[in-house]
Amino acid sequence: MIFNSLTYIIFLTIIVLLYWILPYRSRLFLILFVSLAFYGFWRIEFVPVMLLSTIVDYFVSLQIPKAKQKNKKKLLYASLFINFGLLFYFKYLIFFSENAIGLANLLGADLRPLTLNIILPLGISFYTFQTVSYTIDVYREHIKPEKDFILYACYVTFFPQLVAGPILRAAEVTDQLAHRPPFTLDNIALGLRRIIQGLFLKVVLADNIAPLVDAGFAMPVATMSALDVWTLAFLFGFQIYFDFSAYSHIAIGSAKLMGINFPENFDFPYLATSPRDFWRRWHISLSSWIRDYLYLPLAGVKVREHSVHGLSGAVQDNQKTKALFMTWAIMGLWHGANWTFLLWGIYHALVVYIYRLVKPSSHKLNTYISNVGGVIITLPVIMLAWVPFRAESLTATVGMWSKVVNPLAYTSLNMRENVYLVTAIILVGLFAAKWIQSLFKPSNTLTFFGETVAYAVMIPLIIVFLRPIAQFIYFQF
Amino acid sequence: MLILYQNQGIDVEFDELALGEATQSLFAKADGVPIHCSVLSDAFSCIDGYLQDNSDLILWLGNSQIHAINQKQESDETATAILHRKFKQSLQYFMAFSQPNASLQEHYILFEYLLERLPVHILVLPIVFDDMRETGIRPELADIFQDSQIASRLSKTNIGRTLLAANGDKDSAGNDMAALNDTVQEQVEKFLNDNLAESSSLWERRPISRGKLFTDLYKFRNWALGINPSSVRRVIPGNYSQNIEAFNAILDTAKTHNVIVLTYIVPLRNDVQPPYNMDEYNTFKAEIASITQSQGVRHVDLENLVPAEYWGVKSSTTADGNNELDFMHFQSSGHQLLAEALYKELISLINEESQK
Repeated sequence: MIFNSLTYIIFLTIIVLLYWILPYRSRLFLILFVSLAFYGFWRIEFVPVMLLSTIVDYFVSLQIPKAKQKNKKKLLYASLFINFGLLFYFKYLIFFSENAIGLANLLGADLRPLTLNIILPLGISFYTFQTVSYTIDVYREHIKPEKDFILYACYVTFFPQLVAGPILRAAEVTDQLAHRPPFTLDNIALGLRRIIQGLFLKVVLADNIAPLVDAGFAMPVATMSALDVWTLAFLFGFQIYFDFSAYSHIAIGSAKLMGINFPENFDFPYLATSPRDFWRRWHISLSSWIRDYLYLPLAGVKVREHSVHGLSGAVQDNQKTKALFMTWAIMGLWHGANWTFLLWGIYHALVVYIYRLVKPSSHKLNTYISNVGGVIITLPVIMLAWVPFRAESLTATVGMWSKVVNPLAYTSLNMRENVYLVTAIILVGLFAAKWIQSLFKPSNTLTFFGETVAYAVMIPLIIVFLRPIAQFIYFQF
Repeated sequence: MLILYQNQGIDVEFDELALGEATQSLFAKADGVPIHCSVLSDAFSCIDGYLQDNSDLILWLGNSQIHAINQKQESDETATAILHRKFKQSLQYFMAFSQPNASLQEHYILFEYLLERLPVHILVLPIVFDDMRETGIRPELADIFQDSQIASRLSKTNIGRTLLAANGDKDSAGNDMAALNDTVQEQVEKFLNDNLAESSSLWERRPISRGKLFTDLYKFRNWALGINPSSVRRVIPGNYSQNIEAFNAILDTAKTHNVIVLTYIVPLRNDVQPPYNMDEYNTFKAEIASITQSQGVRHVDLENLVPAEYWGVKSSTTADGNNELDFMHFQSSGHQLLAEALYKELISLINEESQK
């Protein structure tokens, strides 16, 4: 089901009412049932795929604590094999087969392309990460396996986060699902506010920026100037931010209506003072997942608990670097089975690597200068990374990037005037929003007045613009 | 809620709003039969009208210049009506299709669509410098991409593939629910929307509110940045090159179907400096002339056809409310002149062809 629709608004209203009326056990059944229905509204035939992943990890996790040490590993590998096998089949088989056949043909073979018609199940990348992290956490003895299948299945399939996160850890939600927090009007008000903010970002901002971005990236690269490339990179950066953070807002708000707290997924990422800081603010649940379940193991660090402090000094530099590039390559491919996403990942690895090299010298700078300078440098570097994320091909990406490094390409503006205007307004607006937010202190008159005005503008605009014309961008991952 | 309430009881035609109060659309009819249509929803009336007549068909594709009259009087008529009458005498059928700001990309797909249904003998194609800035296909024409035969023909040209890639999965009806294609939610959403629209005029009029909001933003932008119809608008190279590709594709399609083509540079107001960079405009004219020459297509430059007194003003496009010069639409006398010029060229072309 798509959040930006009337169907979801009515669906959510009914579910929240029932949720607070029903007793504990019935409530869990309700969540499981409506979560499957929520998923089935898209394509019912893919519900069993999600259930397979859920059931496998439930039973594997129950067996791990009872098994001998060497069998524990086998059980873990079995879970990883099944989960990543499903992900590989649905998401990567076409990509790898096409490239393998292409390579073989380059080497002289005469193979015909396979005609595979595989549809990517919605949210598979998200729920796979969620079920896998659960089993790994049980294997690492960070959590005990959940014996109640319904409760566990609710954790995996809980509809607000099912399709595009935040990627939850079991420890973050199972307790909340098991022990319903008391009903409070504060939670309802907070939940509604987050949903309104999310719908505003999606239907008013992201969906109206989309046509400008689409038209821009559809232009022949040869006719673009360097300033056009920068503008498109920034504009797509804004679109994907509004779109994806909108999903997270609505997910967090929907859960909040049921008294359940989800972790935040975004924190003004474009105000990051360094590439590392950016990944602490952008898609936080994925960044921390990748760090805990991929980067740290690849770097050879034994993870005792959810890492918050990065790598220990004991890890060698070359190990860190190798892990960094491997992690980012995988992170890129997680977003999509395409060379452009791999390039996006490697670009980020390179940026973080360079940052690590120059970081020691930045300590000599005054904190204010370092922060302001950090934002000024980080923002364009991060925005430029969106080019391969959105461009149709590697050729288009290289073409666009080559404009950026060509001083002669900075002499013209070749798109509609509105594209530059909208980009500039949003850029200024983002900084202004952060500044305005810093002015408002909780529970004072100015805050109350400001919020009232903001919601009085946002609600009618949502009513006017609410149309499921576009999916959330992250649905395709 | 102010935006919603503001539009209660007001019928807004956004194409008309863009033209302004001083300029009105007139889609001609002959004996009650439409001979000038705009988009697919009304195309059948024009097509059916022709099929009952079935003489040699002359098709005119264009932008609002051919369906709008500046300072319109009650008895005024457009060039379409005049040309239809003139050609009827020689047992030929003259028909027009036009949309505001139509790009050559839109003409291309509409031409493919009409060729599928009509035996076009002659195509008349105005080339408008302003519209070389346009790109994309309006939702009202998007259903064309659902026709598999047209899609297959489009896939044979570069620009056709680009248009298919951008629009292939869209149609006008599903445009508001594009993200729900083929899902259970699509039916539920449609049911909810339809019922809500039936019971609430506020909900039903949301498209009007959206359009009104964008129009107000557009006027505000123009006011804030001092933009008016006289402001110089530069070429957008990407859109320009795609429109030139579409132009070439139209000429190729016409050749394949043995359709005779007449192209012309549209009349331009010449009592004031045009809102163009003149170097770009002259390069454009030279390029069009060169393409038509290499394709063996009759091409005329009607830039100075309509004298200054036959042009007019349009309602304000900014928040200040002052009338502005109209560079695109002329008065009825201008239509008369355009019709005569085109008639002369077409007769000459027909005679030339008949002597071959």
